[in-house]
Amino acid sequence: MSVEAVAAKVRSGGRIDRAEALTLYADASTLLLGQLADAIRARKHPSGAVTYIIDRNVNYTNVCVARCAFCAFYRPVGSGEGYVLGFDELFRKIDETLAVGGVQLLLQGGHNPDLPLEWYEDLFRAVKAKYPDFKLHALSPPELLHLSRLSLQPVSVVVARLVRAGLDSVPGGGAEILVDRARRLLNCESKATADEWLSVMRTVHQAGLRSTATMMYGSVERVDERVEHLCRLRELQDETGGFTAFITWSYQPSNTELGGVEATGVEYLRMLALSRIVLDNFDNLQASWVTQGGKVGQLSLAYGANDMGSIMIEENVVRAAGAAYCMDEAEIVRNIEDAGFVPKRRTMAYDILGDPLFRERAIPRQTELAVARAAGDTSVPAELSRYPARSRPGKQQRDAVTES
Amino acid sequence: MSEDVTAAAQMAVQKVVQKVADGVTLSEADWARLTGSHDLIALGMAADTARRRRHDDRVTFVQVLEVPLDPRDPLDSDALEAPIPPPTGEVRVTGCPDSSAAAVAAVRTTVARAGAVPVTGFALADLEDVAGHDRSRLRDVLGALREAGLAQLGEVSAAGLTDPDGALAALRDSGVQAARVTLGVATGDAALTLIRQVASWDGVGDVCRCLAPLPRTGSSPPSTGYADLRQVALARLLVDNIDSIQVDWSRYGPKLAQVALTFGADDVDSVPVTGADDQGWRRSPGEEIRRNIVGAGFTAVPRDGRFEVMEDSAESHGHRTRQS
Ligand code: SF4
Repeated sequence: MSVEAVAAKVRSGGRIDRAEALTLYADASTLLLGQLADAIRARKHPSGAVTYIIDRNVNYTNVCVARCAFCAFYRPVGSGEGYVLGFDELFRKIDETLAVGGVQLLLQGGHNPDLPLEWYEDLFRAVKAKYPDFKLHALSPPELLHLSRLSLQPVSVVVARLVRAGLDSVPGGGAEILVDRARRLLNCESKATADEWLSVMRTVHQAGLRSTATMMYGSVERVDERVEHLCRLRELQDETGGFTAFITWSYQPSNTELGGVEATGVEYLRMLALSRIVLDNFDNLQASWVTQGGKVGQLSLAYGANDMGSIMIEENVVRAAGAAYCMDEAEIVRNIEDAGFVPKRRTMAYDILGDPLFRERAIPRQTELAVARAAGDTSVPAELSRYPARSRPGKQQRDAVTES
Repeated sequence: MSEDVTAAAQMAVQKVVQKVADGVTLSEADWARLTGSHDLIALGMAADTARRRRHDDRVTFVQVLEVPLDPRDPLDSDALEAPIPPPTGEVRVTGCPDSSAAAVAAVRTTVARAGAVPVTGFALADLEDVAGHDRSRLRDVLGALREAGLAQLGEVSAAGLTDPDGALAALRDSGVQAARVTLGVATGDAALTLIRQVASWDGVGDVCRCLAPLPRTGSSPPSTGYADLRQVALARLLVDNIDSIQVDWSRYGPKLAQVALTFGADDVDSVPVTGADDQGWRRSPGEEIRRNIVGAGFTAVPRDGRFEVMEDSAESHGHRTRQS
């Protein structure tokens, strides 16, 4: 099928298949992709609203046994640079988040063998006891799978236990590219195969939780594998309807084992637009300003995105791989309005909370994103001694905490 | 905003875009529709049509080595002695001379070092100052710089000239070409006014190769991606009398500069000669710019400071992919 024929099909609201998506990506101009994607965005969001959420992106531990080749964030078990945040540290972060109008934590971390399921349950319960209305958007599918393996409980049981403890929704991290050939090259097949990632999401949706979905492109995958990724997400969404939004970003190579170069800005906009076209059953697409910068982040709104994502407050993973952009609420709103849209605050489920908060009350400007921990802070939370460690360095650390 | 109003506005913009594609001269009402529209993609399509009519799928780029005019830092003095690395297409003298003699001396020294690589530099507004805002003295200063070996004048700032007609006449009379017209720090409506002003300058294209429409220094708050691309696209659409629309690789960064190529820009300035970041050596700037140009759907053509093509890279690694 020609580009013109595929474009006509998209314009008339038709669903395109894998081959047609590949034709568009290979042969359509960037502006045509943008035009098609923008029309879909306008059809799905006719009010002209562009949303964002005020939440904080917290990484509770950087200790990880998965060792993905594209990850600059993790530290191996026993590393002097490894950390686990304490409950009190997390409460402080929640207090800071509430102070700027935040409504949830996006809580993700490494696959730390020394944090059993009970640690997560206790943390979630403690958060909900102290902040009953505060939301926990936590634990991507590979983390849930890791907990399932660690606790020898089925994923459905892990999810049910975490929901009882306070889990509200699940972030779509760890998807990378949902094709096992690429996952093997990225050394992330063992943390979750493509089928496992999708199966965990199915379980999450069946448990009544909503989730997001993501894609990290630009590392080792082929374009047809990106399309395969999108189509597999679309199939699961047909089945469960559980995804609230899709976010794509480019692989950030700095400080990673894999290395290489980052995909270009045009490639990001093409990928975003293609995602908007293929994912016809997704309501929302987020702009990844944290990887692309504010300018290309704003341009995402012309290439299919209807949401500026989170103001983040804190970010550790992408920063470790070389990108360090910051946009506070005022800056995100300025960019949305400059592009001709109406800014609206939202929840994870895309319920509208209202107009920009900084116009209702004074909120301090933020010029850089916070980090999980101050450099050089090697403190070990006291409550860790309550939980059994699995690794030898973890056991030694617990013993030291108990003795002190 | 109601859906009907938005759809009607988009239709109106699409009609203007079609006029551009058909080569129809736009009316004031058409311009108002284009400049007032938030339909960035439609604006980009119109600008892209206009740029392809002139340049097809070619994007030229130049790798620039900057040499400070008045090196107070001993490191810079050392740099002055260093050989010119091979991919350099232009050696640019940066800074503002305090006299005609200082400018000529700097050009002579730099030309001696640069060998066959063209030497450029200076802003016309600064030379106006040096010439005491006297048209014939300005022509003499420019002539002296040309004789010293200056290949191109660096910049004609549309915002900075006290006597644009006189300055451009002096440029023409001296036989010196300028690399670019700039808009200083102007953004938004102020930039649009300047773009229209440049579009009205008679014969400016005979003495200036490019219009660089984006602000030369950062502002607070920074310009947005939409604002930058609108400025690039409107420059291409409004300015018929200058051949090229230029973006600056170092000032705007690879991502925005690359996207600007799809919005009417056809020349990339200030690609560094060498590049390193705090992670150590990465891909060389020459490879990186070619990758970005090809990735945007164009053919990469390296040029020198005289705007002469340096080598035909189309056969090797600079040719566009199928998408355009
Ligand atoms: S991406 Fe996640 S799972 Fe992979 S190494 Fe990094 S922290 Fe671990």
